[in-house]
Amino acid sequence: MAEAFQVAKKQDLPPPGGYKPIPFKRIPAKSYFSGYTMFAGFIGMTIGSIYLYNITYKRILKDEIEMRSAKMAIYPALLAERDREYLKQLRRNRDAEAELMRDVPGWEVGTYYGERVYKLIPPDQLVEPIFQEYYAHSDIKEWNKRANIKLLS
Amino acid sequence: MDTISPFFRSPFTDITGGMIDFQILGRCGKQEMDLMNCIEAYGLGRGIKKCKGYIDDYGECRTLTKQLKRFLAIRKERQRQIACGKLTDDRKYVSPRVDSY
Repeated sequence: MAEAFQVAKKQDLPPPGGYKPIPFKRIPAKSYFSGYTMFAGFIGMTIGSIYLYNITYKRILKDEIEMRSAKMAIYPALLAERDREYLKQLRRNRDAEAELMRDVPGWEVGTYYGERVYKLIPPDQLVEPIFQEYYAHSDIKEWNKRANIKLLS
Repeated sequence: MDTISPFFRSPFTDITGGMIDFQILGRCGKQEMDLMNCIEAYGLGRGIKKCKGYIDDYGECRTLTKQLKRFLAIRKERQRQIACGKLTDDRKYVSPRVDSY
């Protein structure tokens, strides 16, 4: 028991020189721009980009005008081509019907067993066909091509 | 057609009159006009008998039944001829161009 007092006990003492001071003050983040600088930068970038956007916009307007003018210019020609093909097809349909129904008793070309479609118009006035009549002599594939033209196009 | 208009016409019956016609944007404007002129000339009772042609034309324009029946007859005949072998490979069908209708 007497030897215990000779040995130096291990104690948890402060380091020599004392503790360093504890930093308790706030450390805010480093700010690169102030608030006014940010607003000014935003306005400046907006003005610059508006200027650049307007340059491109003028060019796009010119392109749109040219495309529109070209479409308007060729539209009558395309319409005329379609009408010509339509009339040619009407002629071909009439010939096909005449040949098909040659031996059917009571059938006259352009009528329903002799009964005219519209009774009170002159006999040679064009009666525009409905879709089924126009495609009456066609392959099912061509029929579907036209009937479903908007499905996956 | 016998119930086109009420027996006594007054402003009260005219308020909810169904006055839709085909004169604007209508396929059958001409036929409807002829029919109405004919019925107005002869009155309703006599007009139904006398204006049969106009009634039929207007009905045909509205419903397109005769054109449909024509198509059905032609198609049936074509299928029959293909089935019994009268029409062969190249002359089986006459197809229009897809952008012509």
